[in-house]
Amino acid sequence: MRRMVIARLAWTVAILLGVSFVAFMLVRALPGDFVQTSAGAQNVASDVLEAARRELGLDRPLLEQYLIWLGNAVRGDFGYSFVTRQPVVGEILPRFVVTFQLTLIAGLIAMAMGVATGLASARLRGRADWIVRLYNGFILAVPNFVVATLIVLVVGLYFPQIAIFNYTPFFTDPLANIGGLLLPALSLALAVSVTISENTRAAVLEVSGQDFVMVARAKGLLPRTVLANYLMRNALTPIVTVTGLQVATLLGGSILVETIFAIPGMGQYLFDSITSRDYPVIQAIVLLASAVVVIVNMFVDIAYARIDARAQS
Amino acid sequence: MSKADPILRVRDLTARIVTRKETFQAVRGISFDIGAGEAVGFVGESGCGKSVTARALMRLAPEGTAIALDGAVDFHGQDLLRLGEVAMRDIRGRRIAMVFQDPMTSLNPVMSIGAQIDDIVCRHMGLSRREARQRTVELLASVGIPDAAHRADDYPHQFSGGMRQRVLIAVAISCDPELLIADEPTTALDVTVQAQILRLLLRLRDERGMSLMLITHDFGVVAGMVERVNVMYGGEIVEAGPVEQVFHAPGHAYTRALLDAVPRLDSAGQKQ
Repeated sequence: MRRMVIARLAWTVAILLGVSFVAFMLVRALPGDFVQTSAGAQNVASDVLEAARRELGLDRPLLEQYLIWLGNAVRGDFGYSFVTRQPVVGEILPRFVVTFQLTLIAGLIAMAMGVATGLASARLRGRADWIVRLYNGFILAVPNFVVATLIVLVVGLYFPQIAIFNYTPFFTDPLANIGGLLLPALSLALAVSVTISENTRAAVLEVSGQDFVMVARAKGLLPRTVLANYLMRNALTPIVTVTGLQVATLLGGSILVETIFAIPGMGQYLFDSITSRDYPVIQAIVLLASAVVVIVNMFVDIAYARIDARAQS
Repeated sequence: MSKADPILRVRDLTARIVTRKETFQAVRGISFDIGAGEAVGFVGESGCGKSVTARALMRLAPEGTAIALDGAVDFHGQDLLRLGEVAMRDIRGRRIAMVFQDPMTSLNPVMSIGAQIDDIVCRHMGLSRREARQRTVELLASVGIPDAAHRADDYPHQFSGGMRQRVLIAVAISCDPELLIADEPTTALDVTVQAQILRLLLRLRDERGMSLMLITHDFGVVAGMVERVNVMYGGEIVEAGPVEQVFHAPGHAYTRALLDAVPRLDSAGQKQ
């Protein structure tokens, strides 16, 4: 078990290194750099532009720039935002906390809804199965920004007592904070819950045909014991896998949902940073988001080993 | 054997497997008795209805299929076919237990061996966790698992096929059932292991005085094991009687064909 965790950690570091390189190069592959974008339509002398580039270190060879940035990043220094001239870490952290919270709530909603509907559809079959699959197919076809817009419209028009665009910081009022995130989290969670639901359904159906389930029933065990220890414990592995993979979808979707619900998270910030070519900020956000996805999937792998002894070897 | 007081009396049992598209009559009105402590063999080819019969007695159907049962299964004066599901659950594993065909797929891969015996013991015998584990270890030892106390924490993938079938037998006998149904218990095993498992089943029956319903397609398996044998074909019992009689003077053409299918040492070279 310990060897597995260490191996996974090493793998995680390798992936993040790769991601940081790709993020660095991709940002610089965008047409127009920060200096040019700042100048905008104004006619600025080229030697002024060059001086600005030299000041920001953008005149050096790409690889050298990358290594300098990486060296600092490893020590926790992600540099200064080109736009605000403030340390990137201080800029991102409060926004990251908001996005993280939104993603976490959305993830929990998605898991609860997905496992519940998937399980109901697989166990009850018949009409319940029909309804769930119809609903899943429908939601899968609707992008989350449409769902978010619809929620804003419907709640705004018919339930004016519910405040939609009312973000409260967690430490001001924790309950209001979570309450305010519920609707955005729901619109973010719907599509993901459908993926989890479909996978839960397939996994439970697959497991229920296995011989050991028949053996469990032949033992005279109570239905809830058969369900929990024989059906769900075996179906859990594929369910955990998709849930882990969907974290990336949630993070990506949060950018749109934050914009629609006016939540001060990383989404809007990332969008602005890309527009202004604020390289240090973009790199840090991409790296942070990848780190979350990779780390979540590392925990998924460790969870396997906890669920299924065979995965340890 | 005390044929006077059968613990199980089956009359005109029919089983229809109902799927969405069609219904298939798997068992067509069979009747038989199993006496206390008696071992009865059921022999026939694949699809003759012997496994469906076994499952019918426990009212088990594979997930997603429905089996319509008719007739009467009298177990100590109770008709199992008319018993509620809750009452039936108290009989399964407790008074009638079953060993299945494929030990490789019959154990839950994510639960330890011990936990899979603990749960049935806790369910039916009302023991505490510690008492249950003690019984589990005794059971594993009694079916010939060496170092049972430690192996109880192992998982199925750490056991060979023969060892797994021993575990499944331990599961089946865990609550001292009156009737043990063994549905092709050796088919998936190596020949050398088959003999060991059969000897184990016989020994347990003698020690515990339970009745044994042994289902197989192999007349060679039945020969030394049971007192009476029922030959099944096409969902019916075509011949029934004491095993010697059926062996030496088969009355039905199908029984003779089945007997001819058993490989014999003295005829091994003739066909070549």
